[in-house]
Amino acid sequence: MSDITEYKDVWVFTENKDHVELHECALEILSKAREIADQIGQKLVAIVLALDAEQYLNTIEEYGVDKIIFLSHNDLKHYHERIFTSLVYDLIEQHKPSIFLFPSTEAGNALAARLAYRCRTGLVSDVLNLELSDDYVNNLLISDKPAYLGNVLVKIICPTTRPQMCTITMGTFQKKKLKNKNVEIEKVDYNYDINKLKIEILGAPTRKDKPSSTLSDAKFVIGGGHGLNSKANFDKLYDLAKYTNGQVGGTRRPIMNGWMPEHLQIGISGETIFSDLYLSLGISGAIQHVVGITDSKTIVAINKDPNAPIFKVADYCIIGDAKEILEGLLDYYRVVE
Amino acid sequence: MLKIFVLIKQVPDPHNLEIDRRTGTLIREGVENIINPDDLYALELGLSLKEQYDGQITAITMGPPQADFALRECLAMGVDHAILISDPMFAYSDTLQTTLVLKEAFDNIKNYDIIITGSQTSDSSTGQVPYQLSEALDIPLITDIFTMEIKNNEFYCHRNLGHESQHIQTGLPIVVRTQRHFNEPRHISLKGIKRSFEKEVEVYNFDTFNCPDYLDGCNQSPTRVVKTEKIILKRKNEVIGGITKDKIERLIHIMQEHGIERIWTGVSQDE
Repeated sequence: MSDITEYKDVWVFTENKDHVELHECALEILSKAREIADQIGQKLVAIVLALDAEQYLNTIEEYGVDKIIFLSHNDLKHYHERIFTSLVYDLIEQHKPSIFLFPSTEAGNALAARLAYRCRTGLVSDVLNLELSDDYVNNLLISDKPAYLGNVLVKIICPTTRPQMCTITMGTFQKKKLKNKNVEIEKVDYNYDINKLKIEILGAPTRKDKPSSTLSDAKFVIGGGHGLNSKANFDKLYDLAKYTNGQVGGTRRPIMNGWMPEHLQIGISGETIFSDLYLSLGISGAIQHVVGITDSKTIVAINKDPNAPIFKVADYCIIGDAKEILEGLLDYYRVVE
Repeated sequence: MLKIFVLIKQVPDPHNLEIDRRTGTLIREGVENIINPDDLYALELGLSLKEQYDGQITAITMGPPQADFALRECLAMGVDHAILISDPMFAYSDTLQTTLVLKEAFDNIKNYDIIITGSQTSDSSTGQVPYQLSEALDIPLITDIFTMEIKNNEFYCHRNLGHESQHIQTGLPIVVRTQRHFNEPRHISLKGIKRSFEKEVEVYNFDTFNCPDYLDGCNQSPTRVVKTEKIILKRKNEVIGGITKDKIERLIHIMQEHGIERIWTGVSQDE
């Protein structure tokens, strides 16, 4: 096993979005990584692989990085599993970062998992908080991660291998611009042989955007769960949303039941909401869902089970049949057309 | 013949989990174990490929001896073979360790064309294994597919990647990760249940593999859990009592306090 004290610095995979702008989540991570780098007295390094990567450098410099390592090439326009993994692995081998953080995106999760395998190191997914342990000589991080749909947070360390790797969900940390300082810039030449690729693309790809939701911007979010019992009842959430200018979302169960499209999921594998009011109907409150709602200013929960975990995170608790209350609200808000 | 392998995991039923308030750990007693829900889509894809291409399908899991039951369910659904990778040495394996063990298993199996996985397990939810297995076996991982065809040992499919929809071709073997609601998982027939107990579940343990030291799960998993705690979030927790009518009135009042008013939506289109 290699000597972990050889590994230095905090790296952030500074991903871009649709090759036009930096991913918000990457900027948030840079701000948190700056704090960690200060605590251990080491450098914060941004890693950029992109088409026209130079266009992002100015923005990255505003987030307090000490160094930017970038590769710029047409092949890097989209994330590619073999190209990105191979190039970033070479950088790790050469520079030996101690900590390497990734946005929890499709590309970030994939790249981090592959690199962790190549480095034979640990990767913690969807981290909610990061702090340094007492073992600061080894830069040992403690990563908090929710586990088991059952309300627990596990604290995970990666004591003997490096780099320590984490993926972080958007909205976990706050982005913070800092005064510009001297940033060291290193351009790495692109040298990947694309003949090594195993997948052949037949014909020109077509653009296909995933449906996007406006959940994260909504002021009033109406969330539905399995407790609504039927699609017909769940559909009434859309009526309430229409009459109150709200936005419907939900847990994983209504998706599994076929009541709601996947992109409306609120929680760890879906959207995080920042609403003024979150009204939850028939949701039990598994942690996967709860982590997505705690940034709401006020939470009202309706559930017939007085012991449902959702009540522990609610400001107002209504013990009762969600369907009945929903119908009562509709009677009041329904617009006579 | 097309050799299909489906990776499954047995997990505690996520809808009946309880936490021990004193220790902050999961109460295992009395909790039913089920096949990880996402893996059912992988099984269904494997079974339909078997039917379409006259293949042979094997379900594999890594877990404690009682995971045998999850494999029996797979056999009842129509899987031809089942392999249980189980050894006290593999307990507490993290993702990397799990991948290394699976790599040993597939090196042992040698002949495989398609390895199918679900998207995530409901217990640890890392979703890392498909990527890492693709890396370990050095074969492509295909995700988010919506049509597929196998011709002359080549795999053709349409898939979504980023914001592109691509038509791709690749040689076998490959790892395929199914997305949720990709298909309609089948039910178990009575005949299937009977059949499942007539079949053998093959067991791989530490000695099956010519095991390198790194397979010692207890000591070599790079990540360690140092603490498990219950999440406590501070909120007002005011219970709104009274009859249903009172509750609705109070709720409307709370909504009004938050600036939520009835809005005019115009004449509906049916009229």
